[in-house]
Amino acid sequence: MKFRAKIVDTACLNHFTRVSSMIAKLAKTCTLRISPDKLNFVLSDKVANGGVSMWCELEQEDFFSEFQMEGVSAENNEIYLELTSENLSRALKTAQNARTLKIKLTNKHFPCLTVSIELQLSVSSSSRVVTHDIPVKVIPRKLWKDLQEPTIPDADVSIYLPVLKTMKSVVEKMKNISNHLIIEANLNGELNLKIETELVCVTTHFKDLGNPPLASKNASQDRNSEQMAEVHIDIRKLLQFLAGQQVNPTKATCNIVKDKIVHFDLLHEDVSLQYFIPALS
Amino acid sequence: MLKCVMSGSQVKVFGKAIQALSRISDELWLDPSEKGLALRSVNSCRSAYGYVLFSPVFFQHYQWSTSVKMNDTDMMLNLNCRLGMKSILPIFRCLNSLEKNVEKCKIFTRSDKCKVVIQFFCRHGIKKIHNVCFQESQPLQVIFQKNMCANTLVIKPRVLTEALVLFTSSQEEVTLAVTPLKVCIKSSNEESMDLTNSVYSEMFVGPDEFDFFQVGIDTEITFCFKELKGVLTFSEAIRAPIAIHFDFPGKPMALSIDDMLLEANFILATLADEPSRASSLQTLCLSQKQKRSEPIHSKAGKNVTSKVPEYISRKVEPKRLYSNETPTNISTLENCGSPLMKRVNKGITEVPKSNGDISEVPESSVSDTEEVPGSPSLRKFSCMFFGAVSSDQQEPFSLPFQSLATASDSEEDMNNGSFSTF
Repeated sequence: MKFRAKIVDTACLNHFTRVSSMIAKLAKTCTLRISPDKLNFVLSDKVANGGVSMWCELEQEDFFSEFQMEGVSAENNEIYLELTSENLSRALKTAQNARTLKIKLTNKHFPCLTVSIELQLSVSSSSRVVTHDIPVKVIPRKLWKDLQEPTIPDADVSIYLPVLKTMKSVVEKMKNISNHLIIEANLNGELNLKIETELVCVTTHFKDLGNPPLASKNASQDRNSEQMAEVHIDIRKLLQFLAGQQVNPTKATCNIVKDKIVHFDLLHEDVSLQYFIPALS
Repeated sequence: MLKCVMSGSQVKVFGKAIQALSRISDELWLDPSEKGLALRSVNSCRSAYGYVLFSPVFFQHYQWSTSVKMNDTDMMLNLNCRLGMKSILPIFRCLNSLEKNVEKCKIFTRSDKCKVVIQFFCRHGIKKIHNVCFQESQPLQVIFQKNMCANTLVIKPRVLTEALVLFTSSQEEVTLAVTPLKVCIKSSNEESMDLTNSVYSEMFVGPDEFDFFQVGIDTEITFCFKELKGVLTFSEAIRAPIAIHFDFPGKPMALSIDDMLLEANFILATLADEPSRASSLQTLCLSQKQKRSEPIHSKAGKNVTSKVPEYISRKVEPKRLYSNETPTNISTLENCGSPLMKRVNKGITEVPKSNGDISEVPESSVSDTEEVPGSPSLRKFSCMFFGAVSSDQQEPFSLPFQSLATASDSEEDMNNGSFSTF
């Protein structure tokens, strides 16, 4: 197994750093899947994660000037590594004004992702090299099946999200009242966030959001476009998702499968993020 | 009696010193003398010591007069003022605004009232007065020959700060490795650390980045990160380069800043370079307590404070860092213990403060060598040489680490008469 990659462009480096901080906010531990064309950050929907799952994908060509990998075997030319997301994001943050950044898979007593940064010194023209060895766990092939790209469910309603920052501040305040949030939307561009307790009900209405064309074939032409599809979810999971979005995405869609699952599909420039929150049982 | 006056910008520097010292300990000794106003701080584990001396020239006005009591011996009494960081730190919190608003700051004390009065004369005629009570307690001094260290590096604080940004705050310790050709700063490699989850970082600094570079011996020392950060912030604030003096692992290192107006020394213990770092400093401190608690309780001076409970909650991280094995030295534990015991035996409180008088702390004249509790871990000790002044200093040593394993033969030591009651 081999992996070496290099970033020389500052904008790419900053973007990659932002992606890794976002992942660090979304998942404490995650899987990094390395394949010849892509890098994926994966969180599988295990009970340990509260049923939440995440799939983040980026094309390696968009970031790395050099990229070489050799997977487990020729037929299975992929590498799956488990790591603590924050370790990677912190290491990358130290590369703020770096000339180059190199990442490679090494084995120093145990497998590591070694991040090697060449920093421009503020005082002289010379540079300094900083290395971080991030411990990782290699995931054996038999567990790979749990870490595949999730199938997009047939959504009852698909709607574009409002400005995430606004959504986040609303949800943050609602969290103080109840942990149980109802998210509902219809094909008329309306999205509601509702909490209900014995004493009080609070609903925030977002209008004129627009709906993407429904992909599924059995899309109901007969479905009333005003009818809301709702899911009851744990508000903290939604908040964690929203907290991870520091920058407003290029595109953000929410797909609701009634009473089953909420699927968020975001695009941050060229990095796609999919986040699934299951309904409360 | 102390009386000094500072301007707004001087207050900022003064406040920065206090902030740096607050990283070491929750207590601050205010120690004025004719040499100037010294601030001292020692951490509970006795593994870090900070000292900042502001010369009289630093202040707009500085006046120190001692009240000489009628004693058997004529001695210059110290102020013996110990302040809690909790009381004094908030006063010097927003230094930037203090610098802007304060036109004049007066600090004065009256030992008879055990109070320090800090007056800020601010703009717009506003006057803020803080009265801080202090407890009488003799300050500790550390005797450390920094000029005798084999390695000395002087560097602008900016460079080190850039380096330290790399290390995550979860790491407590950092290792400095030097050879005549290069300097490497890296995360320390403790076996007991959770290696599978911690990031190992390292960076190199070339000799040309230092203002002064003298490496006598190739060495690697490991020390506490938090205290270093405090010193760096202070040195950046006064824009003075910081000098690092060190030797072999286990011997304390000194971080010092020498300016025309002030002098700062921070002595930090370093981790000894040996595989079986069994002891935690707590066992060490317990033995200190055992040795010293006797005199405290029997002395029953007014200086025995009830502040002891605070020590429990303070920084009791197992500083396994600070165990030491330097077989060539006699365990300096005894240095701390016995001379003190000897003095106490003589019932002396009037021993004059021995500034740098090493003969007061005989390194090898330890009669109690055999009495050191058997467990080898207790002989290990971070090399701090204390110019112990009087038994009044006992309180800092009375560390009530409650549930520590006692060395099995320590009780015998207690009873064999080497520590007489008085």
